Amino acid sequence: MTIIKKFEPEEIKKGFSKKYISAVVAGFFILMLAEIWASNSVVAYGEKLEKLSSITKTLSLENQILENEIARQVSLNRVASKSGELGFSQAESIQYIR
Amino acid sequence: MRRIFWIKSVFLLFFCSLIIRLFYWQVVRAEFLQSQAENQYFTNTKIDAARGDILFSDGFILASSNPAFSLYGLPKVIAPDERQKISYSLAKILSGLEEDPEIDTLAKDLITKLSQNLFWVQLKKIISTEQKKQIEDLNLSGIGFEQRSTRFYPEGSSSAHLLGFLGSDAKGASKGYFGVEGYYDGELRGMSGLIRNERDALGLPILIGNFFENEAKNGKDLMLNVDRSIQFIIERELKLGMESYGAKAGSVVVMDPKTGGILAVAAFPSYDPVKYFDYPREYYKNPVVADQYEPGSTFKVLVMAAGVNEDVVEPDTRCDKCSGPISIGGFTIRTWNNKYYPDTSLKDVIIHSDNTGMVFTAQKLGIDKFYSYIENFGFGEPSDIDLQDESSPDIRPKNSWKEIDLATASFGQGIAVTPIQMVRAVAAIANGGNLMEPHVVKEIRDERGSFRVEPKVVRQVLKDSTAQMIKEMMVAAVEEGEARVFRPKGFRIAGKTGTAQIPVAGHYDSTKTIASFVGFAPADDPKFVMLVRYDEPSSSIFGSETAAPTFFNIAKQLFIYYKIAPSE
Repeated sequence: MTIIKKFEPEEIKKGFSKKYISAVVAGFFILMLAEIWASNSVVAYGEKLEKLSSITKTLSLENQILENEIARQVSLNRVASKSGELGFSQAESIQYIR
Repeated sequence: MRRIFWIKSVFLLFFCSLIIRLFYWQVVRAEFLQSQAENQYFTNTKIDAARGDILFSDGFILASSNPAFSLYGLPKVIAPDERQKISYSLAKILSGLEEDPEIDTLAKDLITKLSQNLFWVQLKKIISTEQKKQIEDLNLSGIGFEQRSTRFYPEGSSSAHLLGFLGSDAKGASKGYFGVEGYYDGELRGMSGLIRNERDALGLPILIGNFFENEAKNGKDLMLNVDRSIQFIIERELKLGMESYGAKAGSVVVMDPKTGGILAVAAFPSYDPVKYFDYPREYYKNPVVADQYEPGSTFKVLVMAAGVNEDVVEPDTRCDKCSGPISIGGFTIRTWNNKYYPDTSLKDVIIHSDNTGMVFTAQKLGIDKFYSYIENFGFGEPSDIDLQDESSPDIRPKNSWKEIDLATASFGQGIAVTPIQMVRAVAAIANGGNLMEPHVVKEIRDERGSFRVEPKVVRQVLKDSTAQMIKEMMVAAVEEGEARVFRPKGFRIAGKTGTAQIPVAGHYDSTKTIASFVGFAPADDPKFVMLVRYDEPSSSIFGSETAAPTFFNIAKQLFIYYKIAPSE
């Protein structure tokens, strides 16, 4: 028996194809996984940043303390006192040579 | 059916109330809950601005910030039986001693503070970094630190009057008072910043979270005109002079006559700017800008300059009133030593510091012109020096002046000035006639660059030719006057001594004087103008025997410092 297929015009498919929607959903899913992975990777750096900030602060303080110590050591009062201890004295008379 | 109806109604009522409640919390109170939540995971961190440094002209530090910490305790965290042990451990470190009765007192004070029903209590306002390290090593629970800073002066209490000090205002914030710290408090203070970021449950920052930052702006640094070596020299010499001459107080100010730059300022009695609270409040004000005094004979050079500038007298003009005391308005004007030189020249009037010759000059000038020169030389108005505590004594209105006032003002009595006004006026003679605005600060610096404070000529007071003539008269006063034995040989120094009686209860006390010496050197190309002043010296009342030797001692050292060889 010959079966004749009924000729029917092809229906125009409306909307997005299932493949396209699946691809988009899969894409979003992958992005979501990627974000979770990135957040997890970065989350541990908060502690490192805190440690580095603390080290920077400590070094900055030590720097200031050292600068002040240098200033104290080269102060004229200290230089005068040290030079006296070392035997230096003020010049009594100055001879000018032309 | 009825039962089902009631059950349905109950369920409906229940869900309606649930919806209403959810609406209330999620819509009506949404903002409040959001802010509460943000408070839990957002933290605000204040970034303190560092106070600017104050530097000498050669870049060395005069004042800077020193890191320090405040010590706090958390009474609710510390167990009651631990309080005593913690307090005694802290007291030993804070007192710096192993055993001392003071430790007991300090420990009891700490126990009292830690026993309060508070979450947080300050135990010590300022501790050093060494003390902090020692306390940290003890690993005490409930004890913490907050970072602060204190002011650090590597030169100790040197330049105290110039600097002022850093205190606190009514709200406890740092504020500068007096001197440069007070005048430039706004520039030095800076502006604190803020960081607002998200933190996790452990308090660690979330890098991908929200982050807001308002950068802190550190205070600006000030570079002064003040020379470190000159400051050291004048302080040492002034201290020696105070001891030698038994003065109650003394001051020295050194200025560059060409620019108005203040090279050094010293005054005694002084104070330690770190422990300013241990000193009487009267010590805080800088006598160079805030104290008024009668200048005495140092004023004569200005009166003579006025007369020469107005062409009413010349250095060779003869005084026809100088053969004896002068009577004016019932008063008698005498010379300081009762010696008189008939028909003397005005140059000799300055050399001998002759009061009668000055009366002659002032009368030639007249009250109107005399008064206008007082104003032109900057008396009766502030000099606008950049120090906080400047004051200026008033000059009595011209219409209230009588002949006797003109006469006494001609030799510097009956008129009040400040040392900075006096040295600025004499600087006009040194630099060819220009009245300069004095300045302590040379440059203001921040991260973006620097701003230079340029020298400012307020006005021209004298002609250059007048300034040269007066300069020669002042050189002659040094070489031939009462102070000639103390002057350094070979150098041309222009100067004038002054011995002013102090007014006490409506009359002058002849035993109490302000002894002073003002001058500049080298006379032909002045590097500095300086005023030395002693209040009530006991060894001798005369400026020629107290202030003048100090001036010359300082000048000798400045010649070496400036590498100036003798010209003769």
